[in-house]
Amino acid sequence: MSTPVPVEKGSSLWRDAALRLRKNHAAMPSLVIVALIMLACLVLPSIPGLLADPNVQDLPNKNMSPGSGHWFGTDHLGRDILSRVLFGGRISIAVGLITTFVSVTIGVCWGALAGYIGGRTDALMMRIVDILYALPFLIVVILLGKTIEPFTGKLTEWTVDLFAGSGSTTAKVNDTRTWVEPITTLVPLFIAIGTLSWLTVSRIVRAQVQSVSRMDFVEAARSLGLGHLRILTRHILPNSIGPIIVYTALTIPGVMLFEAVLSFLGLGVKPPNSSWGILIEEGSNRMLSNPWLLLFPSVFFSLTLFSLNFLGDGLRDALDPKSSKD
Amino acid sequence: MTHRALFLLPLALCLAGCQRETQVEKANREGIMLIGNSSEPKALDLHLVTGVIESKLIGAMFEGLVADDPEKDDGLPPGAAVSWEHNDTLTGWTFHLQPDGRWSDGAPVTAHDFVFSYHRMLHPDLAAPYVEMVYPLKNAEDYNKNRRGKILLTAGAVPNTSWDDMKDVGFGPDAKVDLAPLGESPKWPDLTDDAQRKLFVTAKGLDALPAEALEWILADPAGRYSWPVGTFMAKAKALLTTMAGKASDDLFELAGVGATAVDDYTLQLELREPVPYLPSLVRHYTWFPVPRHVVLKHGKISDRFTPWSLYPNIVGNGPFKLKTWLFHDVIEVDRNPHYWNAANVGLNGIRFLPIENPYTETRAFLSGQLHTTYQLPSDLIKEVRETTPEYLRQEPYVGTTFIRINTTRPVLSDTRVRQALALAIDRQQLCDYIMEGYTPATSLTPKMGSYEPDKVLSFDPEKARALLAEAGYPDGSGFPRFSLLISKPAARASAEAIQAMWKQNLNVLIDIQNKDWGSYISAQQSLDFDMASAGWIGDYLDPTTFLTMWTEGNGNNNTGWHSDRYEELLSGAALEADPAKRLESLRQAERLMMDEYPILPMSWYSRNYLLRPEVKGWHPLLLDNHPYSAIRLEP
Repeated sequence: MSTPVPVEKGSSLWRDAALRLRKNHAAMPSLVIVALIMLACLVLPSIPGLLADPNVQDLPNKNMSPGSGHWFGTDHLGRDILSRVLFGGRISIAVGLITTFVSVTIGVCWGALAGYIGGRTDALMMRIVDILYALPFLIVVILLGKTIEPFTGKLTEWTVDLFAGSGSTTAKVNDTRTWVEPITTLVPLFIAIGTLSWLTVSRIVRAQVQSVSRMDFVEAARSLGLGHLRILTRHILPNSIGPIIVYTALTIPGVMLFEAVLSFLGLGVKPPNSSWGILIEEGSNRMLSNPWLLLFPSVFFSLTLFSLNFLGDGLRDALDPKSSKD
Repeated sequence: MTHRALFLLPLALCLAGCQRETQVEKANREGIMLIGNSSEPKALDLHLVTGVIESKLIGAMFEGLVADDPEKDDGLPPGAAVSWEHNDTLTGWTFHLQPDGRWSDGAPVTAHDFVFSYHRMLHPDLAAPYVEMVYPLKNAEDYNKNRRGKILLTAGAVPNTSWDDMKDVGFGPDAKVDLAPLGESPKWPDLTDDAQRKLFVTAKGLDALPAEALEWILADPAGRYSWPVGTFMAKAKALLTTMAGKASDDLFELAGVGATAVDDYTLQLELREPVPYLPSLVRHYTWFPVPRHVVLKHGKISDRFTPWSLYPNIVGNGPFKLKTWLFHDVIEVDRNPHYWNAANVGLNGIRFLPIENPYTETRAFLSGQLHTTYQLPSDLIKEVRETTPEYLRQEPYVGTTFIRINTTRPVLSDTRVRQALALAIDRQQLCDYIMEGYTPATSLTPKMGSYEPDKVLSFDPEKARALLAEAGYPDGSGFPRFSLLISKPAARASAEAIQAMWKQNLNVLIDIQNKDWGSYISAQQSLDFDMASAGWIGDYLDPTTFLTMWTEGNGNNNTGWHSDRYEELLSGAALEADPAKRLESLRQAERLMMDEYPILPMSWYSRNYLLRPEVKGWHPLLLDNHPYSAIRLEP
C-alpha cells in the first residue's frame, strides 16, 4: 500500500501562457470587452421581445436622436439603431469566425504537409502559395464571390425548407427567410475570403513544423515506429499551436475589416440586412446631420477590432516559447 | 521606412492646414467652374446616349440650331442657326446657319453636317436608342425601321410597280410565326433545307432578308413566299429583283428623309406632321450636329462606339472643347476659340466631376470643392437650410421617378400583379419622409400647362392583396423572388422603403441589386432585369416628352410593353390641329398605358441642389438646361 505522494504540478505551456496573459494590462481588458460585445451580439437578439425588429421601418419616427425609446436613436428609415448594431454585429462576428476557421484549417493542413514532407513537394506547394499571393486579393474575392453567388439562391431555399417545411404559412416562411438569408447570402463571401486568406498561416505553420520536426522528441517518436500521421498530429502540431492561435486572433479582425470593406462597396450583405460595414457606410453619408448614425456602429466596430488586436498581441507574447519561464 | 513616413506626417498636415485657398477660390481666379455631375458618362457620342449626365457634357461641347435661354424655358436665342422660318402648315422649316460657325478644329459647320448627323442618327445599323426624337422628320421612321420594300416602291425604283400594288405584302417580321424549330438566332447561310428556309423568310419578312434569300425566293416566287391574294407574279419578281440588287445598300437618299442641305448654310427640314414647337425640340442633343469629317475618319457612318467621340479626337461646335477625360476622375473642357460667339463666353473652362454618392458630393461642396452639385439628398435639406441657406436651391423640375417593370418576365407579365405592386406603394409616405420636396405621383406625366392626366395611382393595400390573390398568389405565397435594380446610392433609401412596403402589404420579398450607371442602362436596354428604379426628365415642355417613349421598339421603353391602340392615339394626337383635342388624345393614351402598369410612377421631381453665390447667369429653369456660355463667376 503506498500513499499517494503529493506531486508538484508540472508547469505546462498553457499554464505559463495563462499566467503571462493575466499580467498583460492591454490584453485582459480586451478579452473582457470582446467577450462582452460577442455576448451582447449573440445573446441579446435571441431574446424575444427585447429588441425592435432591425428591419421594420417607422418612417414618421426617422432620424430620432438617442433617447429613451430608442437608446441609440433611429436611422433615415426609422429603424432602431441599437438592434441594427447588434444584429449587424452578429453578421460581422459570424463572418469573422467562420471565415477565419475556414482559412486557418486550410492553412494549417497545407503548411504542415509542406513542412513535414519537404523536398520537391514542399517547393511545389510553396510556389503555389507564392502564385496565389501575387493575385490581387480584392479582385479575386469579388470574382470568386460573384461566381458562387448564383448557388446561394438554392441554398437559401433548401435551408428555409429545412426550418419551415411544407405546410407552413407564407408569413412563417418569410420569417424564417429573414434570418436564414443574411447568413446564406454570405456563404460566397465565406468561401471566397476563406480560400484566399490561408496563405500567411500556411507559411507560418510550415516554418514552425520544419523547425519542430528536427527536434529530438520527433526523432524519438520516429524511432519508436510511429506513423507519419500520428507524428504530425500528436507531436508536431501540438508543439506549433502557439503561433496558430496568435495568428487566428489576428485574422478575425482582419476578416471583419474586409467584410466591412466589401459591404461598404455594396458587395457583402444585401439590404435591408445590416452589418457593421453597412451601418458605417450609411452613417458616414449622413454624418453631417445625424452623427450618431456613424458613432454607434463605429464605436462597436473599432472596440472589437482594437480588442482583438491587443488580445492577439498579448497571446503572442504569452505563447512565445523563447520567453523565459519565470 | 515607417519612421520616415511618421516624421513627414506632421509636416504634411501643416502644409494642408496652411494652404488657405480652396479649390473653388482657385477656380474662381482661373475662371473655371466646378460642377458635380453624378456619374461617369456612358459615352460622349450624342447619338448613342440617353442620360441627363451625358446631356450636361454634350451641352458644353455641342450646340443645336437653337440655343437654350439662360433665363427662361421658352426663350429661343440663335444657336448654330442665325434665323429660321416655316411654311403655313408648320411642316416645312428653313434654318439659316451661322456664316462663321466653326467646329473646334476650325472646319466650318455646314448644313451637310446636320444632314449627315440625322442620317447617322437614323441609320438602321447604328440602332440609336433615342432615335424617336427625330421621327418628326418626314420618312425618317421608314428609313430607321429599314422598310426597304416601301422605300423602293415609293421612290419608283421598282419597274412597273407602285407601293399601292404591294402594300399588303408581309414586309415586316411576322411575330405569329414560331422560329423555334430553327434553333437560336438562325442565320440564312446555316439553313439548307427548303422547309426551314421558307419558315425563315416568312418569319423575317422581305425587308430583313439578305440578297441570297431574296434570290432563293426569286427562283420560285409563288411557291416560296406567301403573297397576298391577287399579287401579280411579274410585279413580285420585279420587286424581288430590285430588293436583291439593293439588299445591302444604304437607302437614305431613296427614302427621301426630310432633311436637305439647300446650300452650305441653308438647312431645309420637312416634317411628317405639323410641329409648332420644333425650335424648342431642336434644342435637344438628339438634333445636334456631329462633325462629318471626324466621324468618317474613325469609321463608317453606322459604326457604334468608334474613337471619334473619345479624347483627343472629339470635335464639337459648342462654346467649349474637351481638354481632359480621366475615367472616373474628371472631364474638363476649355474655351473653344472657334466658337462663333466665343467673345461672349464667360468661363475659361468647366470641370465635371463624376461623384456618384450625393452625400460625398455635398461634403465636397461644403468644403469648397464644387460650384454646384448634381443633387442634394433630401436628408440633408434641413441641415443645409439651417447652416448655409445661401447655397440651397429648391426649384420645380419636370420629371418623374418610377419603377420600370420588365413585362416579358413570367408573373410580371400579369397586369394584375403589376397593379397590385403599384397599389401597395404608399407614395405619400415616400414623399413625406424619403424624397422630401417631391410630390406623390398620380400618373406618369406631371401637370404641364393645360395638360393634366387622370389620377390613376393610389395606395390601397386591401385591393392590392385581392388582386395578387386573384393572380394566383394569395398572401404572397409562391410569389417568385424578383430583384429591383438601382444605380445610385441615393436611390437605396426609397428602394429599401418599397421593399419594406411590399413585404408588409403583400408578403412579397424582393432583392435590391446595385449596378454602375453604364451597366444599369445596358441591363434595361437588353431587358435583362426584373424591375428597375428609374427617373425621366422632360426634354421639352410638352406631354409627348413623357409619352412617346412607350412605343414598340423605342430605345427608352425597355419594359417590353407596347400597345397598338396606344400608338394610334399618339399618332392621332400628332396629326391633330386643335390643341384641346390633341391634349385629349394624349390624356386617353396615358390613361390606357397607366391602366396596364408597365411602369409604377412614384413621385414628381423637385430639384434640390447647392449653388455658390458667385455663379452668375444661372437661373431656375424647368428643364434645367443652363447654357454654360452665359455663366460668369463673380466672387
